Amino acid sequence: MSLLRAEGLTKSFGRTHALDGAGITIREGEVVAVMGPSGSGKSTLLHCLAGILPPDSGTVHYRDHSGSDRELTSMNDGERSELRRTEFGFVFQFGQLVPELTCLENVALPLRLSGMKRKDAERAAKDWMARLEVDAVADQRPGETSGGQGQRVAVARALVTGPKVIFADEPTGALDSLNGERVMHLLTTAARETGAAVVLVTHEPRVAAYSDREVVVRDGRSRDVEFAR
Amino acid sequence: MSIGHALLGLLEGGPRHGYDLKRAYDERFGQDRPLHYGQVYSTLSRLLKNGFVTEAGVEAGDGPERKRYAITDAGVTDVERWLSTPEKPEPYLQNTLYAKVVLALLSGRSATEVLDAQRAAHLTTMRELTRRKADGDLADQLICDFALFHLEADLRWLELTAARLDQLAAEVAR
Amino acid sequence: MNRTLRPSVLGDLTLGVRLAVGGSRKSWVRLALQGVGIGLGVALLLFAASLPNVLDGRSDRVAGREMVTEGSGPAPLLVEDDFLAFRVDYIGGYYLNPRTPDAPVPPGVDRLPGDGEIFVSPALARLLAEPRGELLRPRFPQKVVGTIGQAGLENPSELQFYAGDTKIKDTSAGVYGWGVPHRRGGLDPMLWLLSVVGLVVLLFPVAVFVGVATRLAAAQRDRRLAALRLVGAAASRVRLIASGESLAGALAGLVVGFGIFFAVRPFVDRISIAELSAFPDEVMPTPVLTLTVIVAVPVLAVVTSLVAMRRTIIEPLGVVRDQKPVRRRLWWRLVPVAIGVALLVSQIGTFTRTEKPDEWPVVGGIVLLMLGIPVLLPWLVERVVFLVKGRTPALQLAVRRLQLDSGTAARVVGGVAVVLAGTVTLQMVLAGVEGEVQTREKKQSSFNYLTVTAKEGSDADGIAAALEKSRAVTALHRVEAAWGQVGTGGWVGLNIGPCAALTKQASIPDCRDGEVYAVRESTGRPAAQPGDVVTFRRSDAKWTVPPLEVVDAGSGTADLFVTPAAARGLVSSNSEFLAVLDSSVPDAVEHARNAIAGYTWQTYTYSPSGPYDGNEAERVFGVVRRALLTGSLLTLLVAAASLLVVALEQVRERRRPLAVMAASGVPRGTLARSLLWQNALPLAISTVVSLATGIGLGALVIRVFGAEVAFDWAGIGLITGIVVGLTFAVTALTLPSLRRATGALGLRTE
Repeated sequence: MSLLRAEGLTKSFGRTHALDGAGITIREGEVVAVMGPSGSGKSTLLHCLAGILPPDSGTVHYRDHSGSDRELTSMNDGERSELRRTEFGFVFQFGQLVPELTCLENVALPLRLSGMKRKDAERAAKDWMARLEVDAVADQRPGETSGGQGQRVAVARALVTGPKVIFADEPTGALDSLNGERVMHLLTTAARETGAAVVLVTHEPRVAAYSDREVVVRDGRSRDVEFAR
Repeated sequence: MSIGHALLGLLEGGPRHGYDLKRAYDERFGQDRPLHYGQVYSTLSRLLKNGFVTEAGVEAGDGPERKRYAITDAGVTDVERWLSTPEKPEPYLQNTLYAKVVLALLSGRSATEVLDAQRAAHLTTMRELTRRKADGDLADQLICDFALFHLEADLRWLELTAARLDQLAAEVAR
Repeated sequence: MNRTLRPSVLGDLTLGVRLAVGGSRKSWVRLALQGVGIGLGVALLLFAASLPNVLDGRSDRVAGREMVTEGSGPAPLLVEDDFLAFRVDYIGGYYLNPRTPDAPVPPGVDRLPGDGEIFVSPALARLLAEPRGELLRPRFPQKVVGTIGQAGLENPSELQFYAGDTKIKDTSAGVYGWGVPHRRGGLDPMLWLLSVVGLVVLLFPVAVFVGVATRLAAAQRDRRLAALRLVGAAASRVRLIASGESLAGALAGLVVGFGIFFAVRPFVDRISIAELSAFPDEVMPTPVLTLTVIVAVPVLAVVTSLVAMRRTIIEPLGVVRDQKPVRRRLWWRLVPVAIGVALLVSQIGTFTRTEKPDEWPVVGGIVLLMLGIPVLLPWLVERVVFLVKGRTPALQLAVRRLQLDSGTAARVVGGVAVVLAGTVTLQMVLAGVEGEVQTREKKQSSFNYLTVTAKEGSDADGIAAALEKSRAVTALHRVEAAWGQVGTGGWVGLNIGPCAALTKQASIPDCRDGEVYAVRESTGRPAAQPGDVVTFRRSDAKWTVPPLEVVDAGSGTADLFVTPAAARGLVSSNSEFLAVLDSSVPDAVEHARNAIAGYTWQTYTYSPSGPYDGNEAERVFGVVRRALLTGSLLTLLVAAASLLVVALEQVRERRRPLAVMAASGVPRGTLARSLLWQNALPLAISTVVSLATGIGLGALVIRVFGAEVAFDWAGIGLITGIVVGLTFAVTALTLPSLRRATGALGLRTE
């Protein structure tokens, strides 16, 4: 049964057609790699899927935790924000941690935004940081950590709210192989343990190898290998 | 690399003499290793025996062999099956993959599908290796990584080829 | 010849200038922004630098139309000068009666007006032509034969006239010529002091703004400089190159500033507040001040950029900012404040109204205290910010941001704080001094009368008859007035008249003949005590103040009200008519004045609802006050613009984290609130500090003047409210850029 399903997505930036009828289906708890060359529209697909960017046309259906079907493109900005905050988690290539906050505060931020008390939020954050083996840098600012630590802090932040989908856009793009693999291993392991689905945008085959299946995006069209058949 | 499939693929464009076939093969795929005549005729006789090609007449002339060969329906089916079946991911595949892509382009089939099928096969193997790596000890990890890096190189080649298909198609059509 | 390859300072600066203007459209946009920003500041400075010329021109022209009343032989021109009130305006002018054909022509006109002719100033001509001047027209029945030129006017909005009137007799002033010598710049010492403080207060934020404007797009510049390091420029040279870039901005600013100045200049005569308007050709900065501006702005720009880069280390691979800020030390920050307070305290009691005080300790003390604020603020903001706990995510984001870099914010709000403290000080000083000058509240709507003083030799009976005939007048009383000095102290005005007249002028609850009433002054003390000896002007007669009753402030010019039975021994200096006005008639005052329009220069009228021909100083106070308030509003806007620049720059620099936060579902409201907090926290701190400083400084300065401390709470509240409003406005103006940054496009990697 599908958790997230996009159909016929189109999106243009000026004269560039980033998406030209792309579609994708994500099932609960699976790790799907979105692959494709640079400029193929894979990041735009992720942005549309996650409700960050409204597509020009097409639909995105999401089955939320209560089982009801939500159509993202018909939601307003506030509703989509809330959905992203409560149901989704995000890991980007870089620059996602708030540089002024300590790592712990960064991880606790989504919980606090949902109204959790500071103490409780930071306790939960600490647990997640331990699972991702970055509890040592809890009181440091992101600028004082290594790239791999920073990405793992970001993964902890993405997981802390217990999201049903984690969107990861080139999460290892700025890391070397070893650190990249460590981040991928911890991310996919934690996601499988919590039952979160992962949409993994990457152009690195070895990173894609952490997925259960792949979807290829080319010229704004996606080939969902499995669902195409 | 299956010379038989390659010859079949070349015959899809129309009947040819054995000598023509060798020349066409060498031109496209035999950059460093041209085929021997012997290889051509032994392969053709095997294909004849299997019913994938038929003799399409003999031309009178001075040459030692003036037989023309044509592909049969069974031969076309065999080429098709070959193209759509990804190669078992292993290092040093590129000759075969390249031949497949070129033949797909020559015969007007979708080269993209060939590449995608191969990518899927590669990724499946890489997933397998990644899983094994997670469960294994350091030695396992290093061995798996070796394979993974090579497969990744293949995959990168696939990506690159996919991005250059238009260019390649134009070149092949010349 | 061996060519030296030693890097030259000039070469590096030039490279910086080239980088600033060279190439991309972006760099031009940045330069344009800097140019406009600094240009606004420069234009303000140029206007300030023009003040001496404007003031000199004004005093020259005012002196130029003074009458020369000494000469030999019979005077060729007889003149009556007149000030007539119309609602809240004053109209000044001369009634002229030439007796020889070569009688001196006053400045601003080319001939003397004939009988029944009048020259009016352009502003008066406009007023007479407008519907609101309808009730004024009866007082100028003359034929308008021309307008008065610049030479005869103090300022472009002045209401002034020259009228010909052959009724003027020898008893009036005989005039031999126009124009008396005068000393330039002879500003009242107190006014001078106020103006200096005002200028310091107003110009500081301009300096801050110039500094901030050079920092525009600093992040981009840092990247460029890092690239220079990569190709082998040493850190010190990179600083020079950066200075060159700031220099380019400053030079552009100078050009723009002069442009704005000359573009705005032609319009300064349209300013409707007379005292703020000026003749365009006079608005010209003095050479010394102009040179100062031209030199100071680029120097300031270079110095600011060097100071700002002090803690920025530009490495070949990018820019490193000191992550752990140095703890700011307190002691040296207290030095200017301490010295300033000491200087002011030392001057308490040395100040008298007529003598110029030891200026430098006072001005120095004030300036030091003012400058103490921006010096102290960074320390204070840092301390407070470290104490604040981020209770909500928005507050947490703001506080953490400020903890990392409170310096920038503190510097910028320092500008706001100086304006605020200065304005509060000035308001207090003005409130205090005003209370001193203007001994009682003058405008009380419950008093509705007009006093008419007839000049000596005028037709008093005719005037009385004309007043009585007016339908705006319900009753007419005759009162006697006298002026005298109490002991060696202040002057008091006495009004002698029946209770019916006295109760119209002051709140005398139970008036009985035989009593004397003294008005309570703003200090709370009565104007005179029983037993005081009053020496009268002119007559030099003395009078001992009998037992009296203290009453609340009245409405008129008098301090003592004497009933006829108690007035024995009193010598009146002149008689007045007190016309009680009909409250049901609109504009009754003007109707009553029109009733005696025919007597123009023979009468002088006073109404508690009209302008007050009291102390000239008081009028000027009003002007200075308005000018300063206008100025502080303008500079507050400049300070707000600095804040906006910094806020926009921060959003730009933090584009990616902001975009990621928005992508992760952080509501835009939370981000906007964090921006608001980020602006509001330093502003709140600076507001508190500047209010405290302003009130403290105001109290000190007032003590120096020896006046009573008064608080202008309404004014303080207003300015504080404006600051709060500006915080919101600045935040609101940053929101569009926040919106852009948090769009999904902000996520795209470049």
